[in-house]
Amino acid sequence: MKNIDIESILRDNRPQLQDNPTFLLEVEQKMRAVEGIKNEVDRQRRYGRTAVIIALLAGLIVGALAMSLAYLYPVNPSKINDSIISDIRMFMDIYKNYLLLPIAGCAISLSLILGRQKVFI
Amino acid sequence: MSPERFIDLIRAEQESLRRFLLALCSGDESLADDIAQDALVRAYVASGSFLGLSKFSTWLFRIAYNCYVDYHRKPRMETVSSDSQQALSIPATDETDAGFKYQRLYQALGSLQEKEKATIILHYFEDRSIKEISSILQIPQGTVKYYLSTGRNHLKSILQ
Repeated sequence: MKNIDIESILRDNRPQLQDNPTFLLEVEQKMRAVEGIKNEVDRQRRYGRTAVIIALLAGLIVGALAMSLAYLYPVNPSKINDSIISDIRMFMDIYKNYLLLPIAGCAISLSLILGRQKVFI
Repeated sequence: MSPERFIDLIRAEQESLRRFLLALCSGDESLADDIAQDALVRAYVASGSFLGLSKFSTWLFRIAYNCYVDYHRKPRMETVSSDSQQALSIPATDETDAGFKYQRLYQALGSLQEKEKATIILHYFEDRSIKEISSILQIPQGTVKYYLSTGRNHLKSILQ
């Protein structure tokens, strides 16, 4: 093989493929499997996100209610008895200024989550 | 991208892609088809990120080449012979040797370094331009020309 023309040898000897009629069918099957996994992962992610959103909404509402109650019905220390409700009211009255912090935290987290995703729930 | 649209797109490219991988795998058709399927599934998963900056086939070939490289990087439990040794082991019968009419050529290709081999295969078997090869292998166009030149010289010296 002296003075061989390597370019024509290469062009004349392209690999010949054998027919594989199942090739695309197998690809389609694998794609369907991938699609199933993707849907399941999406479903789980959506479920987790929904749970977080519900928790944050609940925090926001309960916090706002607690703050309103604390401001609308101030505690009269002379009427305090030993019940748990009174203790809670006393606690809320003392710390009512700080109740804004968790409420703001919930609101900011909610707006971040809702702002970043196109569709939720 | 919908699965139907993706299948339509790959239907036109699958033969060329399989042939490219068949040459890279030195004629091991089942391995080439496995890598091709892996590449197509990866391409489907990543199809949302295809921005159309290059041709679809160029993008697909790039993924296929990366799958081939990944496959060869993966450590395997059993000892696997090199591509050129695999080519030697393929019996030269009409049935099994359909893709290997020119056995010595494929043995010689198997002895080239990976990017040199891929460059030669893409240019001479798949008629890809220097620009396309540069995009598929992610190397500069000058390097593609260099690999084509050195690859041809290596093949000549092996085949003479």
